[in-house]
Amino acid sequence: MKKIFSHPEEAKTGRRYWRSVNELENREAFLKANGREFPLGDELSEEERETSRRTFLQLMGASASLMGLASCRRPVKNILPYTKSVEWLVPGKPLLYATNMPRPYGATPLVVTTHEGRPTHLTGNALHPSVGGGIDSFAQASILGLYDPNRIQNVTRSGKAKRGREDSSWAELNAFIAKARHAWKEDGGEGTAFLVGAENSPTTSRLRAEVLKALPKAKFYQYEAINRDAQQAVNKALLGEGVTTVVKLDKASRILSLDCDFLGLDPVSDDSAADFTKGRDPEKPDAMNRLYVIENRYTLTGGMADHRKPLAASQLEVAAAALAAEIGKITGDTALAAAAAALAGTADEALKAWIAPAAKDLAAVKGKAVVLAGSRTSEAVQALAAGINNALGAYGSVIQLLQATAAAPAAGSLADLTAAVKAGGVKAVFSFTAADLFFDAPGAEDLNKLFSEKKVVVIHHGLRSSKTQRASKWSIPAAHYLESWGDVTTNDGAYGIVQPMIAPLFDGASENEVYLALLGKKTLGPTVVAAAATPAAGAAPPVAAVAGSEDDPAYTAVRETFAKIAGSLDEQKWNFTLRDGFLKGSKGTAATAALNAAAVAALVGKAKPVAAPSKDALEVVLVPDSSIWDGRYINNAWLQEAPDPITKLTWDNAALIGSKTFRELGLKQGQMVEITTASGKLALPALEAPGHVSNSITIQLGYGQVGVGSVAQQAMVNFNTSEVGEEFAKCGFDAYGLRSSASEWVITGAKLAVQSTIYPLAITQEHNTMEGRAVYREGTTEEYKAEPNFAQVTGTDGHAPDPISLYGGQFGRKTTTNPDGFNYETKHQWGMTIDLSKCIGCTACLIACQSENNIAVVGKDQVIKGRVMQWIRMDRYFATPRLDELPASTDFTGEELENAEMVTQPMACQQCEAAPCETVCPVNATVHTEEGLNAMAYNRCIGTRYCANNCPYTARRFNWFDYNKRPLDELYKGPLSNPEKTGVREISKLQKNPNVTVRMRGVIEKCTYCVQRLESAKIVQMQSQRDSKDFRVAADGVKTACQQSCPTGAIEFGDLANKDSTINKTKASLRNYTVLKYLNTLPRTSYLARIRNVNADMPGAAGITAWSKLNS
Amino acid sequence: MGNFFPRWLNWLPLKLGVAALFIGTGVSLAASYYFTPKYTRVGYEPTQPVPFSHKIHAGQLAMDCRFCHSFGERSSHSNVPTNQVCFNCHGAGKGQIKLTSPKLEPVRKAAETGQPVPWVKVHAAPDYVYFNHSAHLNRGVSCVNCHGKINEMEVVRHDQSQSMGWCLDCHRAPENNLRPLSEITNLAYQASDLDRAAFYKGLIDKKISFEDIAAADPKFEGKVAKDLDGLVAAAKGIYGEKVAQKEVGLQLKKHWQVAPPETCAACHR
Repeated sequence: MKKIFSHPEEAKTGRRYWRSVNELENREAFLKANGREFPLGDELSEEERETSRRTFLQLMGASASLMGLASCRRPVKNILPYTKSVEWLVPGKPLLYATNMPRPYGATPLVVTTHEGRPTHLTGNALHPSVGGGIDSFAQASILGLYDPNRIQNVTRSGKAKRGREDSSWAELNAFIAKARHAWKEDGGEGTAFLVGAENSPTTSRLRAEVLKALPKAKFYQYEAINRDAQQAVNKALLGEGVTTVVKLDKASRILSLDCDFLGLDPVSDDSAADFTKGRDPEKPDAMNRLYVIENRYTLTGGMADHRKPLAASQLEVAAAALAAEIGKITGDTALAAAAAALAGTADEALKAWIAPAAKDLAAVKGKAVVLAGSRTSEAVQALAAGINNALGAYGSVIQLLQATAAAPAAGSLADLTAAVKAGGVKAVFSFTAADLFFDAPGAEDLNKLFSEKKVVVIHHGLRSSKTQRASKWSIPAAHYLESWGDVTTNDGAYGIVQPMIAPLFDGASENEVYLALLGKKTLGPTVVAAAATPAAGAAPPVAAVAGSEDDPAYTAVRETFAKIAGSLDEQKWNFTLRDGFLKGSKGTAATAALNAAAVAALVGKAKPVAAPSKDALEVVLVPDSSIWDGRYINNAWLQEAPDPITKLTWDNAALIGSKTFRELGLKQGQMVEITTASGKLALPALEAPGHVSNSITIQLGYGQVGVGSVAQQAMVNFNTSEVGEEFAKCGFDAYGLRSSASEWVITGAKLAVQSTIYPLAITQEHNTMEGRAVYREGTTEEYKAEPNFAQVTGTDGHAPDPISLYGGQFGRKTTTNPDGFNYETKHQWGMTIDLSKCIGCTACLIACQSENNIAVVGKDQVIKGRVMQWIRMDRYFATPRLDELPASTDFTGEELENAEMVTQPMACQQCEAAPCETVCPVNATVHTEEGLNAMAYNRCIGTRYCANNCPYTARRFNWFDYNKRPLDELYKGPLSNPEKTGVREISKLQKNPNVTVRMRGVIEKCTYCVQRLESAKIVQMQSQRDSKDFRVAADGVKTACQQSCPTGAIEFGDLANKDSTINKTKASLRNYTVLKYLNTLPRTSYLARIRNVNADMPGAAGITAWSKLNS
Repeated sequence: MGNFFPRWLNWLPLKLGVAALFIGTGVSLAASYYFTPKYTRVGYEPTQPVPFSHKIHAGQLAMDCRFCHSFGERSSHSNVPTNQVCFNCHGAGKGQIKLTSPKLEPVRKAAETGQPVPWVKVHAAPDYVYFNHSAHLNRGVSCVNCHGKINEMEVVRHDQSQSMGWCLDCHRAPENNLRPLSEITNLAYQASDLDRAAFYKGLIDKKISFEDIAAADPKFEGKVAKDLDGLVAAAKGIYGEKVAQKEVGLQLKKHWQVAPPETCAACHR
């Protein structure tokens, strides 16, 4: 009798986890459309259909003739050895260097992998005392910025003709600087302004001070589009001049966030995510921290919260005041309670009911509790948070106070600069900030006009083409941080060196070098190398990293700073610092500040209660974007295609609207809406956002730039623009125009008008659906204590007998009863666990994987067709706690969706021992190795896609086109594409990992557990053992790229056959479960169930995670 | 009505069938020889930009391979030397050998301009094959096993087919090629040159028991020798006066735990 297998039925009561509202409510139709592995085919237009036969013949003819030509002779390959041996370099072996990525308000310590002088991959610096060793997606993807084909490559200046730009040269620029220097001797820099970013570099600060000494009448101004000006102002008022705060979250056991996305885009220390997860070990449930979050939209922090309250951003002051009043009352801080009383009185009952038990919980652990206010919240919120932290005794225990000692000249604000320009006192502006002044400043249009009216000469220094760059008189190409000497201090004051990995690809100059040029200590532009002028046959191999030479002024400048900080220029100390990436023992100076309680009251007193947003007066919240930050990464294809952690939107931004409002307006996904605020108007697509508060709209900033590069412009290339409208032929929508300098981040009183157009949005989370099967498991600490193995007995896992595998094959440990099993005696057996209690869903792993494994970017239209190539899919599920029987379909109320919970689960190839994919491959292209890997031989794959169809985890990706070979806008033309554009640009090839095949069209690919790293680790072991005996790689001796990048250490990987491996400890956890266990595929990747630390007194506490364990 | 088809036509189908059979066999045989690396690669002997003679350097002068290809034991690549290595002997102020030879002109020019000598690649693995020199050289596989007797070549030629089947032949039976680590770059090495007593003594010095030595080679039939002399005598009885390759290979394979991978992921990723 034929046995028909069917999955266990879905839960009847309450759909448990869902990825989109569409999936939740229109299940049948959704699965019909998206339940297939490869949902959409190509739809040809009428015109294309007619010409397709002819095109086909052309293609066939062309490829046949090419084939004939290509096979005529053996292609001659050359070996090009170095002419001079390079220090440390062994051809074929990567070299690792420590360096630091300077960032606004901090730095990220890095280790850079270089292959023959090319930096190819970044990892965190695990030795650095301030960080955990993981890095976020911005840092991970910053290497692609080095190889951005649209980087500014030449010195340009505005042409004589209006609007035109003409090429200039370094010589002309140097002449211009010389002339300016001459003039400065006369006027002392009168009318010269420097606009700088917010990086913390001691050398840059020192050079700025020197510039100011040389030009006493010049002025410095600081500008970042996403800034912390308000927070710094509050800190100054409350704690004193130059006092900064670093929150040590590992010392906190109760944390409440007031719209502070400290796990995502608003860090409060050098590595907030790592610090936070240190207190998040469910194996010690009593020592777990507890996180409360109040926010208007879902953020990564909200997703990790144990209790989350969706609240309109304009009401945050009220919530902060209510909390302050409660805490003031409990701790006896009457001054705080009094200051907050007026605002707190306006809080509604529901909010009070939520705040009261939370406040009690915080106050119960005085000295170990902290309240975090987002860096862009209002002054009153920040002051109240400071007051609460003071009452909770957080200062000195959880919050460290540091005194800034940098010798940087005081910098004015953008408002100061604008005023100075208005007054006519500014003749020239040197712009160094990475933000794009004329695009992202409040009132940017007017500012641009003002500058040109007053004939201000702008000298722009930057990496990328931007509006400011195009409006500038001179544009100087910047050097990437991987190409230049520099230094940084992290938030907690540790000093680190930035060292170049490669000579500047386009001769760019760093900010330090420009200052040195202005001081007359350096000539900008390429260093003249005699040999470089005559390129011989065959391109030269890429230049190796330049070592610092004594005559490089930037190098010398950094060494001078180092000498000051380290006490002396001790060569040994310098070399150790270069090797480690940081100066051992360097740290910030502790501040001895006490909170100025009167100032708190004064700041709070200034706040006036704002009416709650309503249908006619909506609130608009502008937030930085998880892909492009303030817009500076818009041409970074990895970041653009990495889905937003919450919305899973790629290549675009959208108006995120809570379900309640979205439904009241009768909107469809992607329908255009026009939003009008006091300062501007913007039409953009609407996106239903579960967990978003009603009458509030969140928009990510930075999109909608024009003329910034091929990547950003390719977003819409394969769309028929006549259908969607020409105006959409750019990447996203510019929301900067909605703000004014008065209300930068939260704008109230906005109006919304619905338009009829539907805009195509590329959202990844509707593809590769897991069809509602019970893949995610979570519980509360109470439940975990009562039933520690709950994750292993959920559903059928607990009572069904071990089924016989449908897919056969080798599985289990080799024993006398299982002679075909895996050999644990002499072979490695690789395995992985992912701790869902620690995974915050940030997508750093996904980009690390992309960087390590040469994974292609496919472009927006391909993403819509479900063809995204990333091997790791960061699944995001929402859950609505309804436990009663479900009636038919559309019946979830807006309130329910507003309070939906969110969880994330990274999903890649599970490396099944009894793998369904292997049995269906007709050509044995995917087979098992004796180490338990589900291997993939690309050269053997013929592209039947049977394996992908048969993969229950939908973890396989297919190369529909030559994504690695053709530009995204020429994909469909195949070999007939524009000859100039066919083929990858040289510069993009430089990033590729030489140890991983660059896949071609027509093959399947998937996670390999970074097999190149495993093989390399084994070979290194062989090299040292030779004819000895111990060929087992040391326990935890090899890390996968995702594991290395994970900021929270959620991913554990290692040799199961080695009893010392950490992986064996995590696999032994009672929270360990495998996804779709009933299929008996025996995955090598397993998950550790998430544990939430619930406060039973909170409203809604009973519903939390309750549906995770419903029987299926 | 007369016969429409002539009589000889009766045999046509059979003739065609037989002809097709011959042609088919011929084509398959030709394809299986001429289209394989055995024919397409072996014998490839491109002219190099510098008439460097391995015969003189590695043969006559008996320089070790690793003098120039210095990183083979440490890296996946066995590097082609830099100009500086050439000039250690040929350079002014160094060895001064053939300082002004016109044959060295390209090397001198490369040193001047910084543009490398464009050597023509003889052994080229496809892009999807990840061969690692160090994994082989540290485990008893010699240069000569894959590259042939380079020390006898005036111009380097492709000696072995280096096809996947050829790789697997050795991965499945490494004992046919393994040799002591000291002989890795000895291109003239023959197992028969080994001193049997010294070879076995070397094993015993590494604390390998007589039991293990007997177990490594099925020809010992489980007979465990009591001392070195007994062992040598027993081996002599089996393999004759001279040491045999298989004798050495089986011992090294067992005691060095040589287990060459046969899975795809070993070379393809």
